[in-house]
Amino acid sequence: MSIVSAIELTRRFGPITALDRLTVELPPAGVIGLVGPNGSGKSTLIRILLGLIRPTGGDASVLGSSVRAAQQYASRVGALVESPAFIPGLSARANLVSLARLRRLSLDRVDAVIRQVGLAGRDREPVRRFSLGMKQRLGIAAALLSNPELLILDEPTNGLDPAGIVEIRELLRDLGRNGRTVIVSSHQLSEIEAVCDHLVVIRFGELIFSGPMTEIMKRTREHIDIAAEQPEDNERLRAALAASDWSVTAIDVGLRVAAGAARAGDLNRAATAAGITLSRLLVAQDNLEEIFLEMTGRVDGELANGRGAANGKVA
Amino acid sequence: MLASVRSELTRLRQPRLLVTWFGLMALFAMMVNTIMVTFVTGGGSLPPGAPGVAFPSLAEMESPSGLMAGLSAASNLFGIVTLSFWAVATATDYSSGLIRLLVAAQPRRWRLLAGKVVALLVVTAAATTVAAVVNVLAVMPAAGAAGISTAAWGTDPVAVVAGAWTNLLLALSVWGVLGLVIAVLARSAAVAIAIGVGYVLVVESLVKLVGSAPSDWLLGTTLTAVAHGGTASVAYGTALALALGYVTLGLVIAGLVFVRRDVTD
Repeated sequence: MSIVSAIELTRRFGPITALDRLTVELPPAGVIGLVGPNGSGKSTLIRILLGLIRPTGGDASVLGSSVRAAQQYASRVGALVESPAFIPGLSARANLVSLARLRRLSLDRVDAVIRQVGLAGRDREPVRRFSLGMKQRLGIAAALLSNPELLILDEPTNGLDPAGIVEIRELLRDLGRNGRTVIVSSHQLSEIEAVCDHLVVIRFGELIFSGPMTEIMKRTREHIDIAAEQPEDNERLRAALAASDWSVTAIDVGLRVAAGAARAGDLNRAATAAGITLSRLLVAQDNLEEIFLEMTGRVDGELANGRGAANGKVA
Repeated sequence: MLASVRSELTRLRQPRLLVTWFGLMALFAMMVNTIMVTFVTGGGSLPPGAPGVAFPSLAEMESPSGLMAGLSAASNLFGIVTLSFWAVATATDYSSGLIRLLVAAQPRRWRLLAGKVVALLVVTAAATTVAAVVNVLAVMPAAGAAGISTAAWGTDPVAVVAGAWTNLLLALSVWGVLGLVIAVLARSAAVAIAIGVGYVLVVESLVKLVGSAPSDWLLGTTLTAVAHGGTASVAYGTALALALGYVTLGLVIAGLVFVRRDVTD
């Protein structure tokens, strides 16, 4: 049974279509990445799943209950939606206590989540003194408060330093391994690639891809990054290779050639034949970011057209 | 709903918020009593329809109810303070984004709204108590210094204090609900306060100045009557009925909007 299921899910904001007949099923357990350009409808989808906004068409269910009856599953879902939101004048603990009371939870859970996200010792300070990273941890603590079966986290590593990002990555992995389902929406595709078992890609409110991470990573291809010893020769090298039917694109540090390791020698010889010495020749695999850009286009979704831009406003 | 009330009470326990709220109530109670005895003994009077305060006569001051006259005299000022804090407590949920967490945790939104109203009523009762205590502490030396006879104040003071406290709390509760309703609609404390204060100080005063228009049913007039336990123009029962009508109408509007509106903040 799917933990989240959407059928023809549509949400319009006036003339703007934020979600356009989105049909998707998400498997239970593990970490699921939700990615898409700005204004793609990710936040709208998350808000519908949490009962914050209602669909204008189609339906979706969470843990077997329709989003139109979110009270059926609210106690089993935890969420961090966009930036963490708390009363600045209250301590971190008091903020969590207020949410625990709303959910009728034991205050022991407050202590447990404070420890879990590494805020022990700072929990009695007013939230207004917290850095963005600490607020982010507090937001994750609030999401974990009810020990939920489904956790929905929007940009959970936003504002964290590298050590904090690694810590949250480990936390997400642990949560996913321990029978929970974690849906992570993020623009940090390296994080998504490192943590997620399943990936959902949406653009302009439409589903582009949904499947296991292993499946999408099968789309990766090898490429060879090269650089001429003299940087001014890179353009001449690009022209020479293109004339020989190599697929070449310029990158920050030289050229990227669409070819596998088996052709590295040929490439080196082609450069030599053009009278250029290579100072760099590196065979590498496409990463998720490159696949994502190929799938969704290289233009900011909000800037791509009015539809995306308006989505950003409402999402 | 009890969970929502307890949760809201925890959020309201913000030292700055409570100190400012209670401090303003205490300050106004002290100021009003000081100014009131000066006006009463000096024969001063405010022009009809003047906003905010309605001072008693010397005879009323020297009656048993004179002990708590300051509370009812400045009920509209206390009302504006109360409206402001209810608006701030409501609009902050939107401005901070906390509303997302609250609605996700409790999708039965009417429970959230009801919990907020009950919790704010509890704090309003505490603020009313602060005002009542400061009123008693301030009026005695002020009256003594101004030569106002306080002999009658010993006649059943508990009933007088309890009655004034109850009437002020009822009036302030309506003021508070008004602040909450506007804040729910506007999702902004500043807008809610501006509308509330602007209405009392400007709109209602202007309506009263237009002599031909009947003004007894206006919110400020009604709530002044509630705080006074009835006035010459509006009987206590009528005032209570009107106030109940205002509260019911306001809560129905706020409830419908809150329950049906998308949470996009």
